[in-house]
Amino acid sequence: MLTATILLPLMTGLVVLALPRDRPGLARRVALGGAVLTLAAALTLWAGLEPGGGDLQWRTTLPWIPSVGAAYDVAVGGLSLSLILLTAVLLTAVMVYALPGHDRAHAHAFLFLLLATGLIGLFAARDLLLFYLFFEVGLVPMYFIVGIWGGERRRYAALKFFLYTRAGSLAMLLGFLALYLAMEPHTFSLPAIARAKPLDGPSLAGSLAFLALLAGFGVKLPVVPLHNWLPDAHVEAPTEGSVVLAGLQLKMGGYGMLAVLLPVLPETTSRFGWLLVALALASLLYGALAALAQTDMKRLVAYTSVNHMGFVTLGVAVMAMAGGEGARQLAFNGAAAQMVSHGLLTGGMFLMVGMLQHRAGTREIGHFGGLIGAMPAFSGLLGLLAFGSLGLPGLSGFIAEFQAIGAALQLSAWVAGIAVLAVLVTTAVYLRLVTGLLMGRVPPHAPPLAPLTASEAWSAGGLAALSLGVGTLPAVLLALLDGTTAALAHLP
Amino acid sequence: MGGCMDLGAVAPEMVLAGTALALVPVAGWVRGRWRRLPAAIALLALLVAMGLTAPMLTSTPREAFCGTYAVDPFRGFYQLVVEAGALVSLLSLASHFRASEQEPHHPVALLMATAGGMGLVAATDLGLIILFLQMVSFPSYLLVLLVRSDGPAQEAALKYFLYGAAALAVMAYGLTFLFGLTGSLNLRAIGAGLAGADRAWVALAFGLVVVGYGFEMALVPFHVWAPDVFQGGAAPVSGFVSVVPKVAAFAGLLRFLLEAMPSGLSAWPTVLSLVAAATMTFGNLLALRQDSLKRLLAYSSMAQAGYMLMAVAVAGQVPGALPAVGYYLLAYLLMNLAAFTVIAQVERVIGDDGFAAVRGLGRRAPWPGAALALALLSLAGVPPLAGFAGKVFLLVAAIEGGLAWLAVVAAANMAVALFYYAAVIAEMYFKEPERPEGLAPGAGYAWALGLCTAGTLGFGIAPGLARGLAQLGSTLLR
Repeated sequence: MLTATILLPLMTGLVVLALPRDRPGLARRVALGGAVLTLAAALTLWAGLEPGGGDLQWRTTLPWIPSVGAAYDVAVGGLSLSLILLTAVLLTAVMVYALPGHDRAHAHAFLFLLLATGLIGLFAARDLLLFYLFFEVGLVPMYFIVGIWGGERRRYAALKFFLYTRAGSLAMLLGFLALYLAMEPHTFSLPAIARAKPLDGPSLAGSLAFLALLAGFGVKLPVVPLHNWLPDAHVEAPTEGSVVLAGLQLKMGGYGMLAVLLPVLPETTSRFGWLLVALALASLLYGALAALAQTDMKRLVAYTSVNHMGFVTLGVAVMAMAGGEGARQLAFNGAAAQMVSHGLLTGGMFLMVGMLQHRAGTREIGHFGGLIGAMPAFSGLLGLLAFGSLGLPGLSGFIAEFQAIGAALQLSAWVAGIAVLAVLVTTAVYLRLVTGLLMGRVPPHAPPLAPLTASEAWSAGGLAALSLGVGTLPAVLLALLDGTTAALAHLP
Repeated sequence: MGGCMDLGAVAPEMVLAGTALALVPVAGWVRGRWRRLPAAIALLALLVAMGLTAPMLTSTPREAFCGTYAVDPFRGFYQLVVEAGALVSLLSLASHFRASEQEPHHPVALLMATAGGMGLVAATDLGLIILFLQMVSFPSYLLVLLVRSDGPAQEAALKYFLYGAAALAVMAYGLTFLFGLTGSLNLRAIGAGLAGADRAWVALAFGLVVVGYGFEMALVPFHVWAPDVFQGGAAPVSGFVSVVPKVAAFAGLLRFLLEAMPSGLSAWPTVLSLVAAATMTFGNLLALRQDSLKRLLAYSSMAQAGYMLMAVAVAGQVPGALPAVGYYLLAYLLMNLAAFTVIAQVERVIGDDGFAAVRGLGRRAPWPGAALALALLSLAGVPPLAGFAGKVFLLVAAIEGGLAWLAVVAAANMAVALFYYAAVIAEMYFKEPERPEGLAPGAGYAWALGLCTAGTLGFGIAPGLARGLAQLGSTLLR
């Protein structure tokens, strides 16, 4: 079943490629069908998941390259499955949003579906070489998406994205190889390596492996100062691309830290804990302040992602350093919930920005005003997503950031204080965006804006509704995460 | 002497060389539609030779012709790779020269060079090694020249010839030292005899011998010929030259090192690791500045040779190194020949191999465009393609052999290399076509491309089979 979930998008993508060229609408509908099926398959996985049953459920193990000890080993736990569900949800939302788009529809749909296979496979992989394979399969299609359908500076942005992430992932690969060779007999099996923790400790090899993995995950998350590719890629990517880039691909970094870095190198990570704290605080503050300075909505949302992902790094740092099990649990739940919440909210925000850009041909906040009268449905959705992003209770952002800050408090009041400061700045960012767009007077000469189309309303509305659902019933998500929490909270 | 004459041991080589000789007069006679006959016969000969080679994969190592020739799984594997490279090149060449003056002639040169390459894989005697090195090189010069008798091709062939002659002369000189030190031409006898020899003389001999192999593999600093030859020859010829002599030379060098210089005599692991670092770095940095695709691939091929040399350097101590090189050579063959085949099709129509020639290729020719993109991504080492699995094997071997620094250098190189591969892909997909032309059609092109792409994907997703074959092929006569 898990393998079927991984391969469903890819298979759909191949079917789409085989469809007749002159029927883009058909290609779109088939792709959407594949996304819905993937979502259904992921929900089936959820239904069969035992809460607290650990991280190796639904496991399938097949020999892959036996001569080097690499296997096709996939399984899910709470963290994996929540991100797989997020992938399926965002894939569906993107496919709904893209229904009317007919520019090279076949290739477009194929690339998104291929990317979804990469992401789902990544979250399920329990073998480091397989993890790496899916890591890159989840990245390369985005290079084409940005480069083909992106904005004016798309070639520059696509290349920058590709080079940054590839440099990071090659460092990560070297780290994986070091872990592999430290195992006797050599194996890429993640559960085995996490059990043996071969390089963990104060050794030079352990430190180098930690830095190599941190480089790979840190570029992806991203942490300041490895974030430089992000604004360009997010801004130049087409709307659907930004949704997936921010909503899903950043999670590859966060998931890697939580599911690979921490279990494999816990002691080394805790030795580097203050480095992580410093990176997290830098990301939190820099992302918030940079967002405050933007007048381009898309750039603004892109920078808030840097801020939001800072909470994930912070959670990882607390998990590595804090002594108490309670603090660890809080930190893990905060980091994991933040990934899910950010995926829903920022995915939705990029859709909203895309809708405005599509209508008005500009993304400058100053060119808009008084939308609440002109586009009530749009305004309602935007407001919901923005308040969720700034952490209003009742929406998903709150439960994530509340727990992350609570955990940080156990580490140091100063750290928690700086995190709260960053939240305040983010609040200002979103309030400025909301008031600028929705309130005030409609600027003179502004073109009349058409109401939302069905595909726009359903895609963004679905994400907003899910965020509301997670926010009002956090117990559902937290129960799902519980199994992984228990496993990770018992780290030495 | 009659006791050690075992003609069965050279059956594949005899089939190829015999067919080549028989084709010489045929190529002169055929006219009109019959011009495609030699290529068809050559194709058949290659298939027969592959059938004769395959059983050697599971043979017990033995010697033939009084110790001058080996029959072992190592030979079986690398000869199969050489034959596969020749087969794919032949398919692509057959389409490229369809209905031209050269159509009947290229299979002769190709078969001859292939037979030479196969001999180089199996020879365990210094005299034969020099002979086969010449035999793989000379028909290659001809292939480059045969193509178009215009300025660049002539210059390229001449350059290739002169460099080759000089390199092989230096190598022959080095071999005389080995003979002088041990009194034998046999690799294993030399290996045994060198144990007590003066280290300085051994090092000198080794340094001179490496020149010859280094020339065929285009290693720094013996690479100067490669870019001009790749650019001057027709694209399928450049593909052939980038693969068959290189595979043969890698196999020959491995056999030489493991049989004649066991236990790292004259510090060859260190020397080769330095050459590997220099070759990959040089190749990648120079590839960044190219605007001709064939030149770009020439430098990229250098870089690829550098990656492989990394595992050659530890071949004496790490058991996984030989299968890693074997797997990578196969992967390299598939991805490089796929790239050259598409470039050949572009070049045929546009008459040029600049970046502009592939602009918008994704729209002009979706399937070949995708195949070229896959080949380039595989060369860059992106999973799940064969080039990725190969790079993992090579890096693992290097780190296991204590060359972690070299693995770091290689990883940095792979990151840099992405820049120029991505530049070509960006031309193909991120720009609108300026010229409407599609690609030159041809069943041979299509077969070559289909085989290579299927292999790049198949061996990439499931590397187990190819790696298993390479593992079989790491048993050699010692």
